[in-house]
Amino acid sequence: MDFALSEDQRILRDEITRFAENELNDDIAERDRGQTFSREQWDKCAEMGLAGLPVPEQYGGSGLDGLTTAIALEALGYGCRDGGLVFSLCAHLLACTVPIWKHGSDELKERYLPGLCAGTTIAVNAMTETTSGSDAFNMACRAVKDGNGYRINGTKIMSTNGPIADIVITYSQTDPEKGAYGGLTGFVLDAKTEGIRTDQKFEKMGLRTSMLGEVVFEDAYAPEEAMIGKVGGGTAIFTQSMEWERTLIAAAHLGTMRRLLEDCIAYARTRVSGEHTIGKHQAVSHKIVDMKIRLEAARNLTYCSAWNLDRSRTSAMASSMTKVFVSEALVQTALDAVQIHGGHGFLTETGVERILRDSIGGTLYSGTNEVQRNIVAGWLGL
Amino acid sequence: MSDTDRDSIIARVRRFILEEFLPGEDPEDLTDSMPLISGGILDSIKNMRLIGFLEEEYGVAFEAHEISFEFLDTLELITSTVQAKLAEKK
Ligand SMILES: Cc1cc2nc3c(=O)[nH]c(=O)nc-3n(C[C@H](O)[C@H](O)[C@H](O)COP(=O)(O)OP(=O)(O)OC[C@H]3O[C@@H](n4cnc5c(N)ncnc54)[C@H](O)[C@@H]3O)c2cc1C
Repeated sequence: MDFALSEDQRILRDEITRFAENELNDDIAERDRGQTFSREQWDKCAEMGLAGLPVPEQYGGSGLDGLTTAIALEALGYGCRDGGLVFSLCAHLLACTVPIWKHGSDELKERYLPGLCAGTTIAVNAMTETTSGSDAFNMACRAVKDGNGYRINGTKIMSTNGPIADIVITYSQTDPEKGAYGGLTGFVLDAKTEGIRTDQKFEKMGLRTSMLGEVVFEDAYAPEEAMIGKVGGGTAIFTQSMEWERTLIAAAHLGTMRRLLEDCIAYARTRVSGEHTIGKHQAVSHKIVDMKIRLEAARNLTYCSAWNLDRSRTSAMASSMTKVFVSEALVQTALDAVQIHGGHGFLTETGVERILRDSIGGTLYSGTNEVQRNIVAGWLGL
Repeated sequence: MSDTDRDSIIARVRRFILEEFLPGEDPEDLTDSMPLISGGILDSIKNMRLIGFLEEEYGVAFEAHEISFEFLDTLELITSTVQAKLAEKK
Protein backbone atom coordinates (compact mmCIF):
# COMPACT_ATOMS: atom_id res chain seq x y z
CA MET A 1 0.00 0.00 0.00
CA ASP A 2 1.42 3.35 -1.01
CA PHE A 3 -0.69 6.36 -0.18
CA ALA A 4 1.64 9.01 -1.58
CA LEU A 5 -0.55 10.98 -3.98
CA SER A 6 0.31 10.63 -7.65
CA GLU A 7 0.49 13.71 -9.87
CA ASP A 8 -2.99 12.90 -11.25
CA GLN A 9 -4.44 12.49 -7.77
CA ARG A 10 -2.96 15.81 -6.67
CA ILE A 11 -4.42 17.58 -9.70
CA LEU A 12 -7.82 15.99 -9.09
CA ARG A 13 -7.77 16.96 -5.40
CA ASP A 14 -6.80 20.55 -6.15
CA GLU A 15 -9.37 20.94 -8.92
CA ILE A 16 -12.20 19.63 -6.75
CA THR A 17 -11.14 21.76 -3.80
CA ARG A 18 -11.03 24.91 -5.95
CA PHE A 19 -14.36 24.08 -7.55
CA ALA A 20 -16.07 23.41 -4.22
CA GLU A 21 -14.68 26.52 -2.53
CA ASN A 22 -15.73 28.74 -5.44
CA GLU A 23 -19.06 27.21 -6.43
CA LEU A 24 -20.74 25.48 -3.50
CA ASN A 25 -20.58 27.76 -0.49
CA ASP A 26 -23.21 30.45 -1.12
CA ASP A 27 -26.23 30.90 1.15
CA ILE A 28 -25.65 27.74 3.16
CA ALA A 29 -27.00 29.18 6.42
CA GLU A 30 -30.27 30.14 4.72
CA ARG A 31 -30.62 26.82 2.96
CA ASP A 32 -29.86 25.04 6.23
CA ARG A 33 -32.51 27.08 8.03
CA GLY A 34 -35.09 26.52 5.30
CA GLN A 35 -34.13 22.86 4.72
CA THR A 36 -33.63 23.56 1.05
CA PHE A 37 -31.84 21.27 -1.35
CA SER A 38 -29.96 23.14 -4.07
CA ARG A 39 -30.50 21.47 -7.41
CA GLU A 40 -28.25 24.07 -8.99
CA GLN A 41 -25.31 23.06 -6.83
CA TRP A 42 -26.09 19.39 -7.30
CA ASP A 43 -25.88 19.94 -11.06
CA LYS A 44 -22.56 21.73 -10.70
CA CYS A 45 -21.18 18.78 -8.71
CA ALA A 46 -22.42 16.40 -11.36
CA GLU A 47 -20.79 18.47 -14.10
CA MET A 48 -17.52 18.10 -12.17
CA GLY A 49 -17.98 14.33 -12.44
CA LEU A 50 -18.61 13.86 -8.72
CA ALA A 51 -21.75 11.77 -9.19
CA GLY A 52 -19.95 8.95 -10.97
CA LEU A 53 -16.39 8.93 -9.64
CA PRO A 54 -15.66 5.17 -9.50
CA VAL A 55 -18.08 4.08 -12.23
CA PRO A 56 -16.44 2.93 -15.49
CA GLU A 57 -16.12 5.54 -18.21
CA GLN A 58 -18.29 3.52 -20.62
CA TYR A 59 -21.27 4.35 -18.36
CA GLY A 60 -20.37 8.02 -17.94
CA GLY A 61 -18.26 7.76 -14.79
CA SER A 62 -14.59 8.57 -14.24
CA GLY A 63 -13.42 5.00 -13.58
CA LEU A 64 -11.47 5.94 -10.44
CA ASP A 65 -10.24 3.28 -8.03
CA GLY A 66 -11.47 3.26 -4.42
CA LEU A 67 -8.51 5.21 -3.06
CA THR A 68 -8.71 7.93 -5.71
CA THR A 69 -12.45 8.19 -5.10
CA ALA A 70 -11.65 8.74 -1.42
CA ILE A 71 -9.16 11.48 -2.30
CA ALA A 72 -11.76 13.18 -4.51
CA LEU A 73 -14.45 13.04 -1.81
CA GLU A 74 -12.01 14.28 0.82
CA ALA A 75 -11.38 17.30 -1.41
CA LEU A 76 -15.13 17.85 -1.76
CA GLY A 77 -15.61 17.62 2.03
CA TYR A 78 -12.79 20.11 2.48
CA GLY A 79 -13.94 22.68 -0.05
CA CYS A 80 -17.70 22.39 0.37
CA ARG A 81 -19.20 23.76 3.58
CA ASP A 82 -22.63 22.33 2.75
CA GLY A 83 -22.51 18.98 4.56
CA GLY A 84 -26.02 18.11 3.41
CA LEU A 85 -25.13 18.44 -0.26
CA VAL A 86 -22.03 16.27 0.16
CA PHE A 87 -24.08 13.69 2.05
CA SER A 88 -26.84 13.60 -0.61
CA LEU A 89 -24.27 13.11 -3.31
CA CYS A 90 -22.52 10.34 -1.38
CA ALA A 91 -25.80 8.52 -0.69
CA HIS A 92 -26.70 8.73 -4.38
CA LEU A 93 -23.30 7.48 -5.52
CA LEU A 94 -22.48 4.88 -2.90
CA ALA A 95 -25.78 3.35 -1.81
CA CYS A 96 -27.54 3.60 -5.19
CA THR A 97 -25.15 3.84 -8.13
CA VAL A 98 -22.60 1.34 -6.76
CA PRO A 99 -25.06 -1.60 -6.45
CA ILE A 100 -26.34 -1.07 -10.00
CA TRP A 101 -22.78 -0.83 -11.31
CA LYS A 102 -21.60 -3.88 -9.34
CA HIS A 103 -24.63 -6.17 -9.71
CA GLY A 104 -27.04 -4.80 -12.29
CA SER A 105 -27.68 -6.51 -15.61
CA ASP A 106 -26.16 -4.89 -18.70
CA GLU A 107 -29.61 -3.55 -19.46
CA LEU A 108 -29.96 -1.90 -16.03
CA LYS A 109 -26.47 -0.45 -16.26
CA GLU A 110 -27.10 1.01 -19.69
CA ARG A 111 -30.48 2.33 -18.67
CA TYR A 112 -29.55 3.97 -15.38
CA LEU A 113 -25.82 4.56 -14.96
CA PRO A 114 -25.37 7.36 -17.54
CA GLY A 115 -28.12 9.48 -15.91
CA LEU A 116 -26.89 8.69 -12.40
CA CYS A 117 -23.30 9.64 -13.29
CA ALA A 118 -24.46 12.80 -15.08
CA GLY A 119 -26.60 13.68 -12.04
CA THR A 120 -29.65 14.18 -14.24
CA THR A 121 -31.19 11.25 -12.38
CA ILE A 122 -31.20 11.41 -8.56
CA ALA A 123 -31.47 8.15 -6.62
CA VAL A 124 -32.68 7.10 -3.19
CA ASN A 125 -31.74 3.94 -1.34
CA ALA A 126 -34.85 2.82 0.54
CA MET A 127 -34.02 0.16 3.13
CA THR A 128 -34.91 1.29 6.67
CA GLU A 129 -38.46 0.65 7.93
CA THR A 130 -40.30 1.72 11.07
CA THR A 131 -39.69 -1.64 12.73
CA SER A 132 -36.36 -2.53 11.11
CA GLY A 133 -33.49 -0.07 11.30
CA SER A 134 -30.44 -1.72 12.83
CA ASP A 135 -32.10 -5.05 12.20
CA ALA A 136 -32.51 -4.03 8.56
CA PHE A 137 -32.76 -7.52 7.08
CA ASN A 138 -35.76 -8.29 9.24
CA MET A 139 -37.92 -6.05 7.08
CA ALA A 140 -41.65 -6.18 6.56
CA CYS A 141 -41.62 -5.01 2.94
CA ARG A 142 -42.71 -7.81 0.61
CA ALA A 143 -42.25 -8.42 -3.11
CA VAL A 144 -44.67 -11.10 -4.24
CA LYS A 145 -44.36 -12.82 -7.61
CA ASP A 146 -46.93 -11.59 -10.12
CA GLY A 147 -46.61 -12.74 -13.71
CA ASN A 148 -43.17 -11.83 -14.99
CA GLY A 149 -42.46 -9.52 -12.10
CA TYR A 150 -43.21 -8.68 -8.48
CA ARG A 151 -45.76 -6.59 -6.57
CA ILE A 152 -44.04 -4.62 -3.84
CA ASN A 153 -45.79 -3.49 -0.66
CA GLY A 154 -44.28 -1.75 2.33
CA THR A 155 -43.07 1.56 3.72
CA LYS A 156 -39.46 2.64 3.88
CA ILE A 157 -38.55 5.56 6.12
CA MET A 158 -35.57 7.88 6.56
CA SER A 159 -34.48 7.56 2.97
CA THR A 160 -31.93 10.16 1.86
CA ASN A 161 -32.94 11.94 -1.37
CA GLY A 162 -36.42 10.34 -1.14
CA PRO A 163 -38.39 13.56 -1.75
CA ILE A 164 -36.26 14.53 -4.78
CA ALA A 165 -35.58 11.10 -6.24
CA ASP A 166 -36.12 10.07 -9.83
CA ILE A 167 -35.30 6.44 -9.16
CA VAL A 168 -35.62 4.18 -6.13
CA ILE A 169 -33.26 1.38 -5.12
CA THR A 170 -35.04 -0.83 -2.64
CA TYR A 171 -34.87 -4.21 -0.96
CA SER A 172 -37.84 -6.46 -0.21
CA GLN A 173 -38.55 -9.92 1.13
CA THR A 174 -39.07 -12.24 -1.83
CA ASP A 175 -38.91 -15.30 0.43
CA PRO A 176 -39.63 -14.47 4.07
CA GLU A 177 -38.72 -18.02 5.18
CA LYS A 178 -35.15 -17.51 4.00
CA GLY A 179 -34.98 -13.92 5.27
CA ALA A 180 -31.46 -12.51 5.18
CA TYR A 181 -30.09 -15.76 3.73
CA GLY A 182 -31.43 -15.71 0.21
CA GLY A 183 -34.85 -14.20 0.93
CA LEU A 184 -34.14 -10.53 0.16
CA THR A 185 -33.98 -9.04 -3.30
CA GLY A 186 -32.96 -5.63 -4.60
CA PHE A 187 -34.92 -3.68 -7.20
CA VAL A 188 -34.48 -0.41 -9.05
CA LEU A 189 -37.62 1.42 -10.11
CA ASP A 190 -38.58 4.80 -11.49
CA ALA A 191 -39.92 6.89 -8.62
CA LYS A 192 -42.95 7.74 -10.76
CA THR A 193 -43.98 4.09 -11.01
CA GLU A 194 -47.65 3.67 -10.16
CA GLY A 195 -47.93 2.66 -6.52
CA ILE A 196 -44.79 4.49 -5.32
CA ARG A 197 -45.02 7.65 -3.20
CA THR A 198 -42.06 9.77 -2.10
CA ASP A 199 -43.78 12.94 -0.96
CA GLN A 200 -43.17 12.73 2.81
CA LYS A 201 -40.25 14.85 4.07
CA PHE A 202 -38.70 14.64 7.55
CA GLU A 203 -37.34 17.62 9.48
CA LYS A 204 -33.99 16.93 11.13
CA MET A 205 -31.30 18.45 13.36
CA GLY A 206 -28.44 18.38 10.85
CA LEU A 207 -27.68 17.76 7.18
CA ARG A 208 -30.73 19.91 6.62
CA THR A 209 -29.97 20.68 2.99
CA SER A 210 -30.19 16.95 2.26
CA MET A 211 -33.73 15.71 1.85
CA LEU A 212 -34.88 12.75 3.95
CA GLY A 213 -38.22 11.10 3.34
CA GLU A 214 -40.43 8.06 3.10
CA VAL A 215 -40.79 5.74 0.15
CA VAL A 216 -44.15 4.02 0.18
CA PHE A 217 -44.92 1.01 -2.03
CA GLU A 218 -48.57 0.15 -2.60
CA ASP A 219 -48.80 -2.71 -5.05
CA ALA A 220 -45.95 -1.19 -7.05
CA TYR A 221 -45.09 -3.45 -9.97
CA ALA A 222 -41.44 -4.36 -10.54
CA PRO A 223 -40.78 -6.30 -13.73
CA GLU A 224 -38.17 -9.06 -13.58
CA GLU A 225 -35.71 -6.76 -15.39
CA ALA A 226 -35.87 -4.30 -12.48
CA MET A 227 -34.13 -6.79 -10.22
CA ILE A 228 -30.57 -5.93 -9.18
CA GLY A 229 -28.61 -9.14 -9.49
CA LYS A 230 -30.56 -12.33 -8.98
CA VAL A 231 -33.44 -13.20 -6.71
CA GLY A 232 -32.17 -13.64 -3.15
CA GLY A 233 -29.04 -11.53 -3.64
CA GLY A 234 -30.31 -8.51 -1.71
CA THR A 235 -28.41 -9.06 1.54
CA ALA A 236 -24.99 -9.24 -0.06
CA ILE A 237 -25.72 -6.42 -2.52
CA PHE A 238 -26.94 -4.08 0.20
CA THR A 239 -24.04 -5.06 2.49
CA GLN A 240 -21.49 -4.26 -0.19
CA SER A 241 -23.10 -0.89 -0.90
CA MET A 242 -22.88 -0.06 2.81
CA GLU A 243 -19.18 -0.94 2.82
CA TRP A 244 -18.65 1.62 0.06
CA GLU A 245 -20.81 4.16 1.86
CA ARG A 246 -19.15 3.67 5.26
CA THR A 247 -15.68 4.08 3.83
CA LEU A 248 -16.26 6.87 1.38
CA ILE A 249 -18.55 9.12 3.41
CA ALA A 250 -15.74 8.92 5.96
CA ALA A 251 -13.44 10.22 3.21
CA ALA A 252 -15.61 13.32 2.85
CA HIS A 253 -15.46 13.72 6.65
CA LEU A 254 -11.66 13.87 6.45
CA GLY A 255 -12.00 17.02 4.40
CA THR A 256 -14.43 18.54 6.90
CA MET A 257 -12.05 17.73 9.76
CA ARG A 258 -9.13 19.27 7.91
CA ARG A 259 -11.11 22.45 7.33
CA LEU A 260 -12.15 22.61 10.99
CA LEU A 261 -8.53 22.09 12.04
CA GLU A 262 -7.32 24.91 9.81
CA ASP A 263 -10.14 27.22 10.92
CA CYS A 264 -9.30 26.52 14.56
CA ILE A 265 -5.59 27.10 14.06
CA ALA A 266 -6.29 30.41 12.32
CA TYR A 267 -8.72 31.46 15.05
CA ALA A 268 -6.41 30.39 17.89
CA ARG A 269 -3.53 32.36 16.37
CA THR A 270 -5.49 35.60 16.13
CA ARG A 271 -8.07 35.63 18.92
CA VAL A 272 -6.60 37.39 21.92
CA SER A 273 -7.53 36.68 25.51
CA GLY A 274 -5.65 38.68 28.14
CA GLU A 275 -1.99 38.95 27.14
CA HIS A 276 -1.94 36.18 24.58
CA THR A 277 -3.62 34.69 21.61
CA ILE A 278 -5.75 31.76 22.78
CA GLY A 279 -3.49 29.29 20.96
CA LYS A 280 -0.84 30.01 23.60
CA HIS A 281 -3.10 28.46 26.23
CA GLN A 282 -2.31 24.79 26.45
CA ALA A 283 -5.97 24.02 27.10
CA VAL A 284 -6.67 25.27 23.58
CA SER A 285 -3.54 24.12 21.76
CA HIS A 286 -3.89 20.56 23.07
CA LYS A 287 -7.42 20.39 21.73
CA ILE A 288 -6.07 21.42 18.34
CA VAL A 289 -3.25 18.89 18.55
CA ASP A 290 -5.81 16.17 19.27
CA MET A 291 -7.76 17.31 16.19
CA LYS A 292 -4.61 16.86 14.13
CA ILE A 293 -3.91 13.41 15.59
CA ARG A 294 -7.49 12.30 14.96
CA LEU A 295 -7.33 13.57 11.38
CA GLU A 296 -4.09 11.74 10.56
CA ALA A 297 -5.30 8.50 12.15
CA ALA A 298 -8.66 8.85 10.40
CA ARG A 299 -6.97 9.39 7.05
CA ASN A 300 -4.84 6.29 7.40
CA LEU A 301 -7.82 4.13 8.30
CA THR A 302 -9.95 5.58 5.51
CA TYR A 303 -7.33 5.29 2.76
CA CYS A 304 -6.54 1.74 3.81
CA SER A 305 -10.23 0.84 3.76
CA ALA A 306 -10.78 2.59 0.41
CA TRP A 307 -7.80 0.79 -1.10
CA ASN A 308 -9.28 -2.49 0.11
CA LEU A 309 -12.81 -1.92 -1.22
CA ASP A 310 -12.45 -3.95 -4.36
CA ARG A 311 -9.79 -6.27 -3.13
CA SER A 312 -10.98 -8.33 -0.23
CA ARG A 313 -13.98 -9.63 1.71
CA THR A 314 -12.31 -8.22 4.83
CA SER A 315 -13.11 -4.75 3.53
CA ALA A 316 -16.32 -5.26 5.55
CA MET A 317 -14.41 -5.06 8.82
CA ALA A 318 -12.19 -2.22 7.60
CA SER A 319 -15.16 -0.15 6.49
CA SER A 320 -16.96 -0.61 9.82
CA MET A 321 -13.85 0.35 11.78
CA THR A 322 -13.35 3.37 9.55
CA LYS A 323 -16.96 4.44 9.89
CA VAL A 324 -16.89 4.28 13.68
CA PHE A 325 -13.56 5.99 14.10
CA VAL A 326 -14.04 8.76 11.57
CA SER A 327 -17.63 9.64 12.45
CA GLU A 328 -16.73 9.86 16.14
CA ALA A 329 -13.56 11.80 15.34
CA LEU A 330 -15.68 14.27 13.37
CA VAL A 331 -18.17 14.74 16.23
CA GLN A 332 -15.34 15.33 18.71
CA THR A 333 -13.53 17.68 16.35
CA ALA A 334 -16.69 19.69 15.68
CA LEU A 335 -17.46 19.85 19.40
CA ASP A 336 -13.93 21.08 20.15
CA ALA A 337 -14.17 23.59 17.31
CA VAL A 338 -17.29 25.11 18.91
CA GLN A 339 -15.46 25.29 22.26
CA ILE A 340 -12.38 26.90 20.74
CA HIS A 341 -14.53 29.53 19.04
CA GLY A 342 -16.15 30.29 22.39
CA GLY A 343 -19.56 31.96 22.27
CA HIS A 344 -18.98 32.75 18.61
CA GLY A 345 -18.88 29.04 17.91
CA PHE A 346 -22.41 28.81 19.24
CA LEU A 347 -23.67 31.45 16.81
CA THR A 348 -25.14 30.27 13.54
CA GLU A 349 -23.18 32.87 11.57
CA THR A 350 -19.78 31.21 12.16
CA GLY A 351 -21.03 27.95 10.66
CA VAL A 352 -19.24 25.80 13.23
CA GLU A 353 -22.39 24.76 15.08
CA ARG A 354 -23.88 23.57 11.79
CA ILE A 355 -20.99 21.17 11.31
CA LEU A 356 -21.53 19.84 14.82
CA ARG A 357 -25.22 19.26 14.06
CA ASP A 358 -24.34 17.64 10.73
CA SER A 359 -21.72 15.41 12.33
CA ILE A 360 -24.15 13.62 14.67
CA GLY A 361 -25.84 11.89 11.73
CA GLY A 362 -22.57 10.12 10.93
CA THR A 363 -22.87 7.94 14.01
CA LEU A 364 -26.34 6.82 12.88
CA TYR A 365 -26.64 6.46 9.11
CA SER A 366 -25.11 3.56 7.14
CA GLY A 367 -25.77 1.50 10.29
CA THR A 368 -25.27 2.93 13.78
CA ASN A 369 -21.84 2.83 15.39
CA GLU A 370 -23.08 0.24 17.87
CA VAL A 371 -23.97 -2.02 14.95
CA GLN A 372 -20.56 -1.36 13.35
CA ARG A 373 -18.89 -2.47 16.57
CA ASN A 374 -21.03 -5.63 16.46
CA ILE A 375 -19.79 -6.26 12.91
CA VAL A 376 -16.16 -5.87 13.91
CA ALA A 377 -16.75 -8.13 16.93
CA GLY A 378 -18.17 -10.74 14.54
CA TRP A 379 -15.09 -10.52 12.33
CA LEU A 380 -12.90 -10.91 15.40
CA GLY A 381 -14.68 -14.16 16.21
CA LEU A 382 -16.50 -12.77 19.24
CA MET B 1 -6.44 -37.64 -2.98
CA SER B 2 -6.45 -34.07 -4.32
CA ASP B 3 -7.26 -31.00 -2.21
CA THR B 4 -10.39 -30.46 -4.25
CA ASP B 5 -12.08 -33.83 -4.03
CA ARG B 6 -15.28 -33.99 -2.04
CA ASP B 7 -13.83 -35.50 1.14
CA SER B 8 -10.93 -33.05 1.27
CA ILE B 9 -13.20 -30.05 0.82
CA ILE B 10 -15.62 -31.25 3.50
CA ALA B 11 -12.75 -31.89 5.91
CA ARG B 12 -11.14 -28.49 5.24
CA VAL B 13 -14.40 -26.55 5.60
CA ARG B 14 -15.34 -28.52 8.72
CA ARG B 15 -11.99 -27.62 10.27
CA PHE B 16 -12.50 -23.94 9.38
CA ILE B 17 -15.99 -23.85 10.89
CA LEU B 18 -14.91 -25.66 14.05
CA GLU B 19 -11.87 -23.45 14.56
CA GLU B 20 -13.54 -20.16 13.74
CA PHE B 21 -17.13 -20.52 14.84
CA LEU B 22 -17.35 -23.47 17.20
CA PRO B 23 -14.20 -23.45 19.32
CA GLY B 24 -14.18 -26.29 21.83
CA GLU B 25 -17.01 -28.19 20.15
CA ASP B 26 -16.67 -31.91 19.57
CA PRO B 27 -15.86 -32.30 15.83
CA GLU B 28 -18.15 -35.33 15.77
CA ASP B 29 -21.11 -33.05 16.47
CA LEU B 30 -20.65 -31.16 13.21
CA THR B 31 -22.12 -33.62 10.75
CA ASP B 32 -22.19 -33.17 7.00
CA SER B 33 -25.93 -32.53 6.98
CA MET B 34 -26.21 -30.39 10.07
CA PRO B 35 -28.04 -27.11 9.26
CA LEU B 36 -25.58 -24.29 9.75
CA ILE B 37 -27.72 -21.23 9.04
CA SER B 38 -31.05 -22.44 10.38
CA GLY B 39 -29.12 -24.07 13.24
CA GLY B 40 -27.72 -20.67 14.22
CA ILE B 41 -24.05 -21.54 13.60
CA LEU B 42 -23.68 -19.12 10.68
CA ASP B 43 -25.05 -15.59 10.88
CA SER B 44 -24.66 -12.89 8.25
CA ILE B 45 -21.13 -11.91 9.33
CA LYS B 46 -19.94 -15.49 9.75
CA ASN B 47 -21.35 -16.21 6.32
CA MET B 48 -19.16 -13.47 4.85
CA ARG B 49 -16.14 -14.82 6.70
CA LEU B 50 -16.87 -18.30 5.37
CA ILE B 51 -17.24 -16.97 1.84
CA GLY B 52 -13.96 -15.09 2.19
CA PHE B 53 -12.28 -18.29 3.27
CA LEU B 54 -13.76 -20.36 0.42
CA GLU B 55 -12.87 -17.76 -2.19
CA GLU B 56 -9.30 -17.54 -1.00
CA GLU B 57 -8.78 -21.24 -0.37
CA TYR B 58 -10.27 -22.47 -3.66
CA GLY B 59 -9.84 -19.45 -5.95
CA VAL B 60 -13.56 -19.29 -6.69
CA ALA B 61 -15.98 -16.35 -6.58
CA PHE B 62 -19.44 -16.28 -5.03
CA GLU B 63 -22.27 -14.22 -6.44
CA ALA B 64 -24.56 -12.22 -4.17
CA HIS B 65 -27.52 -14.61 -4.44
CA GLU B 66 -25.35 -17.60 -3.53
CA ILE B 67 -24.88 -16.35 0.01
CA SER B 68 -28.00 -18.21 0.98
CA PHE B 69 -29.54 -21.35 2.51
CA GLU B 70 -29.52 -23.12 -0.83
CA PHE B 71 -25.76 -22.95 -1.16
CA LEU B 72 -24.42 -22.76 2.37
CA ASP B 73 -26.74 -24.39 4.89
CA THR B 74 -24.80 -27.63 5.35
CA LEU B 75 -21.26 -28.87 4.84
CA GLU B 76 -22.65 -31.00 2.01
CA LEU B 77 -24.17 -28.00 0.24
CA ILE B 78 -21.05 -25.88 0.71
CA THR B 79 -18.93 -28.64 -0.75
CA SER B 80 -21.22 -29.15 -3.74
CA THR B 81 -21.19 -25.42 -4.40
CA VAL B 82 -17.41 -25.23 -4.27
CA GLN B 83 -17.08 -28.28 -6.49
CA ALA B 84 -19.52 -26.85 -9.04
CA LYS B 85 -17.53 -23.62 -9.12
CA LEU B 86 -14.26 -25.47 -9.53
CA ALA B 87 -15.75 -27.48 -12.39
CA GLU B 88 -16.97 -24.24 -14.05
CA LYS B 89 -13.44 -22.86 -13.86
CA LYS B 90 -11.95 -25.78 -15.79
C1 LIG C 1 -29.25 11.41 8.29
C2 LIG C 1 -29.75 10.03 8.07
C3 LIG C 1 -29.83 9.53 6.79
C4 LIG C 1 -30.31 8.24 6.55
N1 LIG C 1 -30.43 7.80 5.25
C5 LIG C 1 -30.95 6.57 5.02
C6 LIG C 1 -31.14 6.11 3.67
O1 LIG C 1 -30.80 6.79 2.70
N2 LIG C 1 -31.73 4.91 3.47
C7 LIG C 1 -32.12 4.12 4.50
O2 LIG C 1 -32.62 3.04 4.26
N3 LIG C 1 -31.94 4.51 5.81
C8 LIG C 1 -31.37 5.72 6.08
N4 LIG C 1 -31.21 6.15 7.38
C9 LIG C 1 -31.66 5.30 8.48
C10 LIG C 1 -30.53 4.67 9.26
O3 LIG C 1 -29.89 3.68 8.48
C11 LIG C 1 -31.13 4.10 10.57
O4 LIG C 1 -31.58 5.20 11.33
C12 LIG C 1 -30.11 3.30 11.36
O5 LIG C 1 -29.77 2.11 10.70
C13 LIG C 1 -30.64 2.95 12.76
O6 LIG C 1 -31.92 2.40 12.71
P1 LIG C 1 -33.06 2.99 13.67
O7 LIG C 1 -33.10 4.46 13.48
O8 LIG C 1 -34.29 2.22 13.44
O9 LIG C 1 -32.53 2.74 15.15
P2 LIG C 1 -32.72 1.39 16.01
O10 LIG C 1 -32.33 0.23 15.22
O11 LIG C 1 -34.07 1.42 16.62
O12 LIG C 1 -31.64 1.62 17.15
C14 LIG C 1 -31.88 2.41 18.30
C15 LIG C 1 -30.62 2.36 19.18
O13 LIG C 1 -30.39 0.99 19.60
C16 LIG C 1 -29.10 0.58 19.19
N5 LIG C 1 -29.15 -0.82 18.75
C17 LIG C 1 -30.09 -1.40 17.97
N6 LIG C 1 -29.78 -2.68 17.74
C18 LIG C 1 -28.60 -2.92 18.35
C19 LIG C 1 -27.74 -4.05 18.48
N7 LIG C 1 -28.04 -5.20 17.88
N8 LIG C 1 -26.61 -3.92 19.21
C20 LIG C 1 -26.30 -2.74 19.80
N9 LIG C 1 -27.07 -1.63 19.73
C21 LIG C 1 -28.19 -1.72 19.01
C22 LIG C 1 -28.74 1.48 18.02
O14 LIG C 1 -27.34 1.55 17.83
C23 LIG C 1 -29.35 2.79 18.44
O15 LIG C 1 -28.49 3.45 19.34
C24 LIG C 1 -30.70 7.43 7.65
C25 LIG C 1 -30.59 7.93 8.95
C26 LIG C 1 -30.12 9.20 9.17
C27 LIG C 1 -30.00 9.71 10.58
